[in-house]
Amino acid sequence: MNSNNSSSPRSLQRRSLLGIGALSALSALSLAAPGVWAQAAPGLNNGRLVVVFLRGAYDGLSAFVPYADKDYYALRPNIAIAAPDGTAQTAIKLDKTFALHPALAPLLPLWQQGVLGFVPAAGLPAPNRSHFDAQYQMEIAQSGKTSSAPGWLNTTAGIGRAGAGGAVALGVGEANPAILAGQAAAVRLIPRGQSAERTGVLANDKTRQALMDLYGGDDKLSEAFRQGAGSRMQSAQELTEQRSARAEKMAQDSKRMADRMLDRDGTPANLQALNAQMLAASNGAADPVGLQLDAQHLGTLMRNDRKLRLGFLSAGGWDTHANQGAATGQLANNLGNLARGIAQLRQDFAEPGDVVVVMSEFGRTSAENGTRGTDHGFGNAMWLMGNRVAGGRWHGAWTGLGQLNEGRDLPAHHDYRAVLAQVLRGAFAFGDSQLAEVLPGAKWDKRLDGIFNKA
Amino acid sequence: MPTAKTLAGVLATLLAGLAGPAAQAEGQTEAIPPTANLSATWRAASRLGYAPTPAWPQAAASPRAWALQQLDAAYAASKRPPTLPAELAGINAPLGDIARSFQAERETRRSARQTPKPGMAAAADAAAGNEKFSREMAQGAAAWRLMSCSDPALENPLLARMTEFWFNHLNVFVGKGPVRPFVGHYEINVIRAHALGRFEDLLLASAKHPAMLFYLDQAQSNSRGLNENYARELMELHTLGVNSGYTQKDVRELARILTGWTVNLKDGEGFRFAERLHDKEGKVLLGRTFGNESVAEGEEAIRYLARRPETARRVATRLATFFVADKPPPALVARLAAVFTDTQGDLRAVMRSLIESPEFWAKDNQLFKTPLDFACSALAAAGGVRDRRDIGQTLGFLAQAGQPMHGWQTPDGYKTDANTWLAPEALTRRADYAMGLAQRTAEPAYLNAFFSVATRERIAQEPAQMRTGLMLASPDFMRK
Repeated sequence: MNSNNSSSPRSLQRRSLLGIGALSALSALSLAAPGVWAQAAPGLNNGRLVVVFLRGAYDGLSAFVPYADKDYYALRPNIAIAAPDGTAQTAIKLDKTFALHPALAPLLPLWQQGVLGFVPAAGLPAPNRSHFDAQYQMEIAQSGKTSSAPGWLNTTAGIGRAGAGGAVALGVGEANPAILAGQAAAVRLIPRGQSAERTGVLANDKTRQALMDLYGGDDKLSEAFRQGAGSRMQSAQELTEQRSARAEKMAQDSKRMADRMLDRDGTPANLQALNAQMLAASNGAADPVGLQLDAQHLGTLMRNDRKLRLGFLSAGGWDTHANQGAATGQLANNLGNLARGIAQLRQDFAEPGDVVVVMSEFGRTSAENGTRGTDHGFGNAMWLMGNRVAGGRWHGAWTGLGQLNEGRDLPAHHDYRAVLAQVLRGAFAFGDSQLAEVLPGAKWDKRLDGIFNKA
Repeated sequence: MPTAKTLAGVLATLLAGLAGPAAQAEGQTEAIPPTANLSATWRAASRLGYAPTPAWPQAAASPRAWALQQLDAAYAASKRPPTLPAELAGINAPLGDIARSFQAERETRRSARQTPKPGMAAAADAAAGNEKFSREMAQGAAAWRLMSCSDPALENPLLARMTEFWFNHLNVFVGKGPVRPFVGHYEINVIRAHALGRFEDLLLASAKHPAMLFYLDQAQSNSRGLNENYARELMELHTLGVNSGYTQKDVRELARILTGWTVNLKDGEGFRFAERLHDKEGKVLLGRTFGNESVAEGEEAIRYLARRPETARRVATRLATFFVADKPPPALVARLAAVFTDTQGDLRAVMRSLIESPEFWAKDNQLFKTPLDFACSALAAAGGVRDRRDIGQTLGFLAQAGQPMHGWQTPDGYKTDANTWLAPEALTRRADYAMGLAQRTAEPAYLNAFFSVATRERIAQEPAQMRTGLMLASPDFMRK
């Protein structure tokens, strides 16, 4: 089986008319076809981008299950996700090739609405089975480079913003991720979880003043402290307001429901029972936790500060060498947390130019290992979500599990940077020069040209 | 080492004498410090421990001589068991006892699963009661780390530092179930015991400890079901370093060499070589042939990796990065690597060379405190851990700052550079911790000698109850 799901005859014809159809599928960025958005002035104002990085190499073959492939079940006798049969313990059918892990069920509506798609076999240009090395290279978007370099989201944040003040990128959770590190632009970083909502000792005027005086110098440390104090107070205020607005809305909703019931049969409703009912409807999660809470914080802060165009989230715990489970188990739990986070992001990032990318440093071995887990592999699925994404379908090459890289791994048919190039053009109308700056040395991959809908 | 009390008189005299030169300091922390000895004392105490103690004037006479003395004292201390408070003795119980309690805990959980209680009751059981033993062992180990990094009467400060360094190099993650009850035992008997010994002894001890065997899944790898996890990280992180020439084939060969290395919980030895699970075919690792020599084969492979020049270079680079500068001077790295090779991995000799190097003392080689550095130094200034609140607050701060105690999930360990930790909002959260800790702390006035005039004068304007917190939250206290 060798299909290229996104190259419809029409788009091929279009390419030919543009005079580049005869060139090889992989062309240097300078030869890239002028995309539809090339007419829009390139810039961060065209859209917003959120990158969700799954650290530890998530098992894409469990997320997007190639259920029609006999090899899949032969290679994974204990940990394969059963082919769709409509029950909760099996995968959820997407099309004739792939099915979703049941823990990703919250994402099915997004697939059906056509705003969620994926590239099943992308990765580094060459295998690199070190988590840390591979992550770093993906964060600086330069392969084979281990020396210090700026993160590609930082470079992106700096595009067209020479000398401009204020942060353009927001990171939630990590102390200072490499992908956001660099001198091109200021970034804002907030911690995971509820502590992002707290002002701490800065709430006390006298303490705050003393600290601001102590950090009054023009050295790097003092400047960082003053900047941090300002952005922390702002973050805490916005997140707290959002939380109380949500609580108020919930209270109003339950009162409205209670009033309606009262009207209908004249008996007072049990408010407590109603609240419980509403809680159950939201999967028992009164307040989101984990990735979902972080996603909500990201959404709130980026909604309030329109200068913030780039977001970064990460989740760990994907390195499932042993007992990874199947329809249930540790990987399923992690996927469930991820699905809730992505669904939350969809609520806040549904403007026309918004794009969410989910990526991981590499895939895992196609076969299960001796301990019902999987070891470090190569190619993996990258996810894309957004209104402009040609969703409800997957993109790029897929050759099944019959031909494996080094006899063990899913091949990476597409350089992850070629996917990112499509994303940066789709979200920000970046031209060749901006793409070359953010993704040095990357090649445009025409086989991915259908990822974004034509405007 | 004399206690603070016996030195109180000396201290007062010295402080009076230092008031003059200290007053010449400028407002910036980068400025030339009032005297070379003060700056060198701060550096030695903060890097080869966590913070100066009230006894610091003793070190100030000759920081270099003091540091070398500390090295010998730390080595001697590593040969003795730690002075664990009685309530924490459990974390260093004989391995057999820990293993039996852990087994019992697992049995209880298993039988609870087979006879499930309805809904919430079962969930509550799983969350709390059933794993009380493991949880308390992990909490005890974390508490000990905080006590030992902040109280010279409990632990030699340099030994606490070396323990931190090698734990991070041979990291295990307490969030992985079976690691939890063993993490304290691992820290004390593997890391602390060999922290200034020979590198290959340290590496072998770690390879055979249940905490590592569980953490990187080696305990489950065998000839019929290979798991590459430990073999890969052993080369990538513990010894040679990434991109040092080994291949995926070498990873598999090393994994095959180590098949049969597993845990022995029943007899309490911790480690067991299961002959029957060992791959008995020939293997070639990095061009060298390994036969079927049972457990000796793996030991030989680990010693072979420990002695490679790439390993010497990697260990030297990591030590110089941790103790000297985020981007360590290449000449220093080369010298340390040479000492490592010449002494067959004698870690005390390597540290001696590091302390004697001009680079260690050079003003340009700045280091910024990590959250753990900051917390331990603040606790030390507060006189060490005093109660459970100190422990709870500190562990909470570390977790929120992104450096949870024994909680780094991946085997690379946390980073220690300013690029990682000098982040705007995170800095303000250090102030939260400082002000909280200070509520129960007597003013550590002795620190004033090290602070800039601007810092001292600004803090002096505030009432006593605010001064301690501001001292610990000041920019001067963030560098080491």
